[in-house]
Amino acid sequence: MNPLAQPIIYTTMITGTLITTLSSHWFLAWTGLEMNMLAFIPILMKKTSLRSTEAATKYFLIQSTASMVLMMAIISNNLLSGCWTTTNYISQPPSLMMTTALAMKLGMAPFHFWVPEVTQGTPLTSGLLLLTWQKLAPISIMYQIHPSINTHILLTLSTLSIAVGSWGGLNQTQLRKILGYSSITHMGWMMMTLVYNPATTIFYLTTYIILTTTMFLTLNLSSSTTTLMLSRTWNKSTHLAPLMAPILMSLGGLPPLTGFLPKWIIIQELTMNNNFLIPSIMTIMTLLNLYFYMRLIYTTSLTLFPTSNNTKMTWQLENTKPTLLIPPLIITSTLLLPISPLLLTLH
Amino acid sequence: MTYILFALSVLLVMGFVGFSSKPSPIYGGLALIVSGVIGCVIVLSCGGAYMGLMMFLVYLGGMMVVFGYTTAMAIEEYPETWGSGFEVLGGLLVGLMMEVMLVLWVLSLDEAVEVVVSFSDTGDWVIFEGEGSGLIRGDSIGAGALYDYGRWLVVVAGWTLFVGVYVVIEIVRGN
Repeated sequence: MNPLAQPIIYTTMITGTLITTLSSHWFLAWTGLEMNMLAFIPILMKKTSLRSTEAATKYFLIQSTASMVLMMAIISNNLLSGCWTTTNYISQPPSLMMTTALAMKLGMAPFHFWVPEVTQGTPLTSGLLLLTWQKLAPISIMYQIHPSINTHILLTLSTLSIAVGSWGGLNQTQLRKILGYSSITHMGWMMMTLVYNPATTIFYLTTYIILTTTMFLTLNLSSSTTTLMLSRTWNKSTHLAPLMAPILMSLGGLPPLTGFLPKWIIIQELTMNNNFLIPSIMTIMTLLNLYFYMRLIYTTSLTLFPTSNNTKMTWQLENTKPTLLIPPLIITSTLLLPISPLLLTLH
Repeated sequence: MTYILFALSVLLVMGFVGFSSKPSPIYGGLALIVSGVIGCVIVLSCGGAYMGLMMFLVYLGGMMVVFGYTTAMAIEEYPETWGSGFEVLGGLLVGLMMEVMLVLWVLSLDEAVEVVVSFSDTGDWVIFEGEGSGLIRGDSIGAGALYDYGRWLVVVAGWTLFVGVYVVIEIVRGN
């Protein structure tokens, strides 16, 4: 993308999300989603290649289909209630359509196929925006309509997302695909307690964004996109090789790390609603997730792959990429668990 | 009037079948124009003269002309018509058959066409039948209201259209 073209495109992308988040009128909420989607296409095609073109086309098709379904739901809601306000109660048929459309936009289970493909086709920084910023607008709409969402449908979608995201990531060697599948799993966790306690959803989203940003920025530092490239981290940036392990463990939700906190809160919320079976299934399914993160840790820091001698000197070369954000992000994404009492008081 | 509406609705769906059976884009555009015109006539026969006209001018006059022009620029020597391939012809026939079956089923009902063209429960949804000011029809006042009360909406819409063109140019520009 031409640097001169960037200001308009990024402004529109951010404005779109803000319009959706702040509007109380369905029509403007929809307009914001459309603006956001339109402006995101050139960001996906930052480096023009066949793959990125394909990714942008897939993204455009799925997002515009979802927007169409959302518009249909908005119109039928208006027909039934005569209301354009987002906070009004929505009757079941439009609510189901709306949930479907937003699940499509978020990449949840039956509509998840585009997420790994689109993430794989784009540069790491665009993939970062795709998996973090682009989730904000649909989730804000979900948050606003949560009293009228059908619980059974949402729980089914979430459980499916967790299962599919965990299964799909197994045996992948492409890092962006793994992160795409991990995003599907996290979306499932996020949507699980939306009806019971939407604050937990927002909290999970915040933590997920921090963790994913850390992961993407760390990968971006060494421009790693495959497991094999990850195995050369020890000689590219030696100090990051052991740090990759806690970040990935945190993304998988192991207890002493930040990633455990939102999962803990969600499991607690579900068990407080006498829902024991689903949290058990969720945790067991997420173990699969942890397994493929473990494979990444294995290639990064637990083993030494055979390499030729001249690659062992790359640590001497000066790094040209900005590293300002990485230390604070690594700290927040691993050591935030002790602040959980503070979150309880804020809640 | 109900029979006219019914016949128009059938034609509208047939137009949709025409372009969704995926011939070459230029013929798809042709089928889209046909169903677009029929859509405008449906709105027109419900009494929405202003909206039908606006739809006709903007949708067919503006968008479809540009679409036709661009597809004509990129057209191949022997574009695929509805009759030139088994898949397209099959899709078209299946679609038409289903539409015919639906029409036969509706006609066999007691209330026949009222099922399809009954707008009784939709109120003033199809067209706006407001008061007006006595001199001007209510629906054309709406256009004025859009630029008055909805001025920020027009700003957002204008900006989005601009960004749409901008993005398209940015993507197809090449390196």
